[in-house]
This record gives sequence, structure tokens and C-alpha cells, in this order.
Amino acid sequence: MESDKTVYPCPYCGESLDGYDALKAHVLSSHKNEDLPSPEGEIGLKINGDAYRLRVEPQWTLHYLIHDLLGFTGTKLFCDSGACGACTVIMEGRPVLSCMALAIDCDGYHIETVEGIAAGEHPLIESYVDHHAMQCGFCTPGFVATGKALLDRVPDPSEEEVRTALAGNLCRCGTYPQHPKAVLDAAGKLGASGRKEGWNHE
Amino acid sequence: MSKSVEEKILETMDNLNSDKYPLKQYENIGKRGVRRLDGYEKASGKALYTVDVQLPGMLHMRFLTSPFPHAMIESMDTVEAEALPGVRAVLRYDDPELPETADLGGHAPSSIPVLTGVAHFEGEEMGAAVAAETEAIAEEALRRIRVEWVERPFVLDTEEAIEPEAPLANPDVYPDGNYYNQGMLDMDELGDVEKGFAEADTVLEFKSRRRLHTWIGPERPCGVFRWNGQYPEVWVKQQRPHICKRVISSWFGGIPMNRIQIHCLYQGASFGGWSQMPWNMGGHYCAALVARRTERPVKWVFDRREDFYGGQMDEGVYFHKVGFRNNGEILAVEVRAIMSNLLFPVFAVARHFIENTRIPNVYGKTEAVQVNKGVNVPTRCEQASNVSSLTSVFGRVAEALHMDPTDLALVNDGADGHDSKWLNDQKKTLGFTVRDSLKECLEKGKAAISWEKNWHAPGKRRLANGRMHGLGFAWTHEWEDSAGSSEIAIRLERNDGTATILGMRCDNGVNAETAYCQIAADELGMKVEDLFYRPHFDPGFFAMTPDSSTNMSVNGFAVRNAARVLKSKILEAATKPTGKSQRGSFPAPFEDCRPEDLDIRDSVIFVKKDPENHMSLADLVQPGGAEGPMCHSPEMGKGAQRSNFAPPLFAHSYQVQQGAYASYRVRFCRQAHFMEVEVDSGVGRVFVTKVVNVNDVGKVVSWEGCEGQQYGGTYMGVGRGLYEEVIHDPVTGVMLNGNLIDYKISTLNDIGPIQTELVESGMGYGPYGIVGIGEDVATVVPPLLGPAVHNAIGVWVDDFPITPAVVLDALGKG
Repeated sequence: MESDKTVYPCPYCGESLDGYDALKAHVLSSHKNEDLPSPEGEIGLKINGDAYRLRVEPQWTLHYLIHDLLGFTGTKLFCDSGACGACTVIMEGRPVLSCMALAIDCDGYHIETVEGIAAGEHPLIESYVDHHAMQCGFCTPGFVATGKALLDRVPDPSEEEVRTALAGNLCRCGTYPQHPKAVLDAAGKLGASGRKEGWNHE
Repeated sequence: MSKSVEEKILETMDNLNSDKYPLKQYENIGKRGVRRLDGYEKASGKALYTVDVQLPGMLHMRFLTSPFPHAMIESMDTVEAEALPGVRAVLRYDDPELPETADLGGHAPSSIPVLTGVAHFEGEEMGAAVAAETEAIAEEALRRIRVEWVERPFVLDTEEAIEPEAPLANPDVYPDGNYYNQGMLDMDELGDVEKGFAEADTVLEFKSRRRLHTWIGPERPCGVFRWNGQYPEVWVKQQRPHICKRVISSWFGGIPMNRIQIHCLYQGASFGGWSQMPWNMGGHYCAALVARRTERPVKWVFDRREDFYGGQMDEGVYFHKVGFRNNGEILAVEVRAIMSNLLFPVFAVARHFIENTRIPNVYGKTEAVQVNKGVNVPTRCEQASNVSSLTSVFGRVAEALHMDPTDLALVNDGADGHDSKWLNDQKKTLGFTVRDSLKECLEKGKAAISWEKNWHAPGKRRLANGRMHGLGFAWTHEWEDSAGSSEIAIRLERNDGTATILGMRCDNGVNAETAYCQIAADELGMKVEDLFYRPHFDPGFFAMTPDSSTNMSVNGFAVRNAARVLKSKILEAATKPTGKSQRGSFPAPFEDCRPEDLDIRDSVIFVKKDPENHMSLADLVQPGGAEGPMCHSPEMGKGAQRSNFAPPLFAHSYQVQQGAYASYRVRFCRQAHFMEVEVDSGVGRVFVTKVVNVNDVGKVVSWEGCEGQQYGGTYMGVGRGLYEEVIHDPVTGVMLNGNLIDYKISTLNDIGPIQTELVESGMGYGPYGIVGIGEDVATVVPPLLGPAVHNAIGVWVDDFPITPAVVLDALGKG
């Protein structure tokens, strides 16, 4: 009789197991030194340094997970099609569009949202306030996340590098001229404080 | 005898007394670097918007939309949708509890079907709404609704719609044709245009077209409705929360206004657009019904595409005729326009020739026609048609006379058919120092764009990179009017003497709340950081909001007036005994002074002649009491702990003031905009290489705020003028580009440097002589592309947006 359980291939030897419980037993007996694989749809990820383990549906976007389910509402959905950058988060050091990333693909990743950037007292936040790099503010967190990812990678960027990094972020209010100023200002503050490298990285 | 409405309005227009009066000294008004109140919230992601709201047990609602531009539901089967796990309610258009029509918002009270069975544009929310545990389940349920449609003929194009045999866009309401607004057309008449044309040396006629574009609110239309027992608590994405309250109060047999709680959080801006759509409260009505049935809060939300239906109200065709003398004096202008889908209101197309120039003969007529697309509403802003007429007519005349267009503007500056001398007399009458606003704007702008060096005859300058160089100029009058009222309260906080401004919030990011604090700080003599704006939505705190063409010019008055009343009360309190009783009296803090002997600076009251004699506001208001306002009487016994309490200073702690109305005043301030472009005439692409905005704002309250509206408006305006167009398939009537990949808005690197210049002539209608700025730039910059591109290629482009195809057509290469 055909099993009605999901078939789980063992990630270490490829053997097909009927159901998660069988896989778990198999790994415990045959691959004692390896991590237990996750049941279907379960992922583990770190958001702003805190660990989360939860079950996700395969069609859930990362934005839905963090904004709707986990309450990181700073990450905004504007275009919903990967065209505007408002939903940008930093994943493993790179700016990623959370509306285009599937949550189920984020297993094991470190994600930083605008809330984490603010909690780390990154100078970008105050630079954004000082330079009025916002109007309605809906797209602002996406700019901040994109700028932070740039500064993590390039602590002392040229204006051209900043403009290139931010070129994919849309702002309907047209606050654009202030963003390079704010990011360069934050870069200057980081340099002055000697905190250029590894800001807020675990 | 009862007075007419107009008489009552005129009574309040005391602009002879209320317009001017600058302060002797400004501390915070016009100071750079004042920290914006919303800054940290927005930069850190802590700012909450309606779309972020989540409540315990909240359901998610989505709407069925019409796949056809004009169609009627013959029958609808919702059984499968209702059976889907997670679906909690399906509201159908034929639900017995749905009224035939209701007031559902818009620019004015409306009577609109809540959930119609007939669609008049593709994408219209209609037929059914589904509430489910998640948005995804609601959408899946919508896909399971089976509809039998009866398709109807449709029309999309403005000019086709007025043909006698055109399909009827809405035959149920307008069976006789698509000119549906009998009595709603807008007319302007000054002098006699036929006489003017007869006296002219030259008469020109031309036609122009503006295609559909829209607002693109970053936050999608949405809302949350919860019944707290019998009374609603509603989260609105709406720039006019007071109107939401009025609308909701008319539902379900009437709900008292004071039982309705509104939350208007930060707005992902929609620039007026969404908030004035006729159905914008329809989602709330459906949510209210479903929330009552399910006893759960309901959040309704549109998707990105659904926010593309509806647009700015300058879509249409314009027919211009202008007659002028060889010396540049324009004698007559006539503009007739046929606009698409203006339900209400219909605005003028030639009024700026009257309000802004000495042209003695002006005729303007706007008619509206219905087509099967979304409704067009005032979207930053309704003056677009006036401005584009002014810009293109002046451009044509300057070219015909081989005249510098800035000189042509100076020749024709004036108002109400009178020249600048008459205008200057009006300035004197109101007590202003006479300044030539246009001349000042031109001087700044021409210097910034190197006009004398760069201006050239049209089509005559090819650059080393092979592109054609163009320089353009546009001007108009001050923005907009102060036609509104406002109620603002300011009170001193007990204990620390900081001051709270209470008023409605509608934050679109113009930094108005900080600017109100700057005004109140200067009027009260307080440190700006001791002021805070606290949004309050009770109907007693009506205020003009940034969607409504005016906020600072109206609310600024109300803040100023409230602050002045509060200051006089503070100084009065400081000179009166604080208490008198049989057991003793307590002397005034400044015992031997009269109120006029005192002043306040940096939140400290002091004697003018003896500044060393001072007291902080915190000391004046004294502690509010360890147990709050509870006051223990001395009879309570010697052992009792006395509350450290000081009674309130004033009989009234709220100062509510009306703002001023000055919409009937002659316009004194001018705005001038300059643009440099390069045009690749091989492929038709236009590059905007520099923009200079010069705004006479009368008086700057927030420099950063004003400049933000200048560069921000430029980015929006260039997009509108060059690439923003909502495109419908002429065969199916379906919108083709309802997303941000195919509908292009400006990005960071699309425009060259933007130079912002501000003039402070002090001649505006608002407090301290200010005028508005938020709507000007985004409205003037699109038509400014016309003369700029003409100067580059030597040919007029009269079809906006000026896409490469339009440029190539104009060059005969199409």
C-alpha cells in the first residue's frame, strides 16, 4: 500500500524515507554527527540577531513572513514586483527584495531589517533625519536598508557608488537628492568613530 | 433675516486685517536644522501606516474586480468560494443588507452603489467582497467565484467619446450621451475675446493633449473597520479623516459623530488622488457590514494594480487660441478643453490668464466627458490644466515674436486684466511693501541656469554629444489659496510647561507638524523642542490637510492665533495672584507687573525692563500633583500626605481658533521654473540635465520643507511630463501597465541637478505673508518640458507625456 506520508530524502545519503519521523530516526541512527534536517516547511533563521524557527508555506514571501507574521512592519511593500526596493532587507550582508524572496528559501540565513539597523544605533538613522531624506516615509526603510548594506560592504563610498547602490529604490515623493547626502554623512560618522568595519555584524 | 451662504463666507474673509503682520524677529520660523518630528519614526521603520495595522482576530478582505471595461453581472455563483476553508464571509452585490447607494466619500457628499453589479471600467471593485483568515485565502476564494457577464460596448478615448455614434460609457445614468456633466462645466470669462482677436497683430491656434497619468500611492488603498460594541473604530488611509467621519455617520441609519473613532496614521502619500476618489469609503462600508456579521475586525486592501485605476484630472484635449500685439502684449486668450472622467469637480483651463496676467480678454470652457476608465480627481493638483494652458500659450507667443519668454512674462504680468502698476496699487492697499515678485524670481532663476549665456533660438544648438540643447521657462502665480478653516488647540502641559498642539493629522510628509511647532514656538517665545504636535481626530479639531491645496496657509493662521491667545493668558496668569482664600492668599509670580511688562523667551517668562527677574514656564504651571489633579484639603489632618498640587492656570486650557480665508484676494507672489534639456533627435529621447525652481513663498517657515517640495515636485513633474502614462488596450479596454515595471516614475539618476531658490517677498495671503508650495512644482514642471523640448528641436510637441515616439512624430520621423 502506498504511503500517504511525504517522502523525505535524506540530505546526507539520499535515501528516501516515509515521513519526517522516519527521516529523523534515520539521521539519528545513520548520521549521528550531522544536524537533524527540518520537517517540511520548517525553517530556522535569524532576524536582527534573534533566532526564529517556524513552519512556512512554500508560497510565502519573506516580506509576508517578517511584516505580516512576525510584525517587523518597518519593511514596506510598495510595488510588490521587485521594482522599487521599499521591501529591502539585508540578507547575509546583501540587500535583498523581501517581496521577491520566498521565506522557505531563507532557512539558515541572517536577516537584518530596518528595526535592527535602528536598534544598533547605526548613524544612518540620524543622518536620514538630519537631511530630511524622507517625506511620506513609506519607502524610507528600504533606502536605509540599501544604504546600510552598501556601507557594510564599502565603508567609504564615493557619491557615484552611493547613487548606483540606491538607483533601484523608488521614492514617489522625490526625496532622491537627500539620500546620497545622508548616506555619505553616515559614512563620515562611521569613519570618525572608527566603526567602519563590521558594524552590527554578529 | 437669514444670510446667504455667500454672505456668511464673505463675513469671515477679513483679509485686510489678517494677512500681513510679520514678526519683529524670527527665531524658529525660517531656521534651518529644526529636527523634524516624524524623522526618527520614518527613518527607523517605526512609523505605522494603515496597511501595517493588525488586530486580534482580524479578517482580510479583497474585492472582485471587473475583467471588462463595461459589463453587467448576469448571474454569480459564490458557493465554491464560500466553501473554501478560511473564508468567513462573502458579500455579494445583491445582498439584501446593501443599500442601493450610500455616501462613500469623494470630493463632496456622494450617493454611490456600495457594491455594484455593473462595471464601468476594467478593474473596478464590484460584484463581491470576500473576507478570510488571510489575504491569500480571500484571493483564492475570489478566483472561485463564477460570474456570467453581459459585456457592453465601451469607449476609452476622449475625442471618440463625444462623437454622436460613440458607445455610451454609462447609459444607466447618462442615456443621452457621454457629455454627462450638464451644469458641471467650468467657465471663465473676462472682457471680450472676439474684440481682442480683432485688435491683435497675430492670432495663433493650436491643439494639445494630455494623456492619463496617476498618483501611485506607495501605500495601497486600505482600511480597517472594527465595531467596539455598537460603535465603530476605523483606521483610514485617507487625507481627510474628518470627511471619513461624516461619511460613516450617515451609514446604518445614522451613527452620532462622537461615537465614531477614527485613526489616521501616517500616509503612504497619494497626493490627493485616492482620498478624493468617489468610492474611497466603499471598502469601509463592506468591511463594516462583514465586521458586524462576523464580529471580527476586517481589513480591506487593494493590490498594487488596483491603485492604478483613477488618475490626475488633466487628461483630455485642449484647443487654444491667442491674439497678441507685436510688442508682446497679449490681447486675448481662449481655451476650450474636453476632459475625461471628471466626476466632480470640474476645474478651469484658463483661469491663470485672469489671475496671473494683464490680458484683458479671456475665455475658458471646460467640459467633461465620460469614458470607460477610472475616475480622474485632483492629484497634485487641479490647477494642472490652467498651468499647461498658460505655459504653452506663452511659449507659442514668445516663439512667434522671436522674443525672450522671460521678457514676455514681464510684459504681461498683472492680474484681473490689469497691469503690474495696478497690481502694485493693490499690494499697497493691503499694506505690503511693494515688491516685483516675478522680476525677483526671474533674476534668481536666470542667474542659476545661466539664461543669458544658454538661451538660443529654437532648434539651433547641437551639443558635442550630438544631442540638441534646449532651455525652457514657465511661470505662474502663488500656490494655491487659503480657502479653508482650521481649528487648532494649544495647551501647556502640567508639570513641565511644555506645550502640545492638538489638531488633525494627515501626514503626507511635507513636515507640516514641525513647521506648526516652529510657528507656535516663535509666537509663544518657547524653545521649539518644547512644542509637540499631537494628532487628534475629534470633529472639534477640523483642520485643513495637505491634500486640500492648503495646510500651512490655513492651519498656520490657526496655530498662530491659538499661540497668541495662549501667550496672553500665560502673561495674565503670571501677574495675578494664584489663589485667594480665607486661610490666606498667594501672590502673583510677577506681583507688581502688568501682562504687557512681561515677555517670554526660550520658555522663560521675564520682566522686559529687568530680565534678571524671570521664571520658567515649568515653574509657572507648577506641579500637577503626585496624585494627579486630586487636591487634599487642609482639614485632612496634620499627618496626611499633602498632594503637591497646583490648580490649573486658566479657565480654558484649549485655544481653538479659526484660520483665515483669503481665496478672493488678488495674487501677488510669482513662481518661475527653468529647465535645461538635451534631446537625442535620432531616437527621440529627452534628457533633463538641470532644473531651477524659484518659488516666492512669501516667507519660509521650514527651508527643508520648502526645498523638499521643490526637488520632490521636480522628480514627479519630470516623470509626468516625460514618461508617466496609464495605457489601456484599445481592443479590450484592459489596462496594460498597472505596475511599477511598465509604468515608469522617476528614479534617483533620471534627472540632472535640481537647484532650489526661494524668494521671501512677504506678500502672501497666509500668516507672515506665506503662500503654499507643495503643489506648484509637480504641476508646473510637466508643461515646462514643452518649451524646453521646443527650444531644443525647434518643433512644438503638444502631446504629453513627451515620449520618444511623440518626439519622433513631432520631428516627422514617426
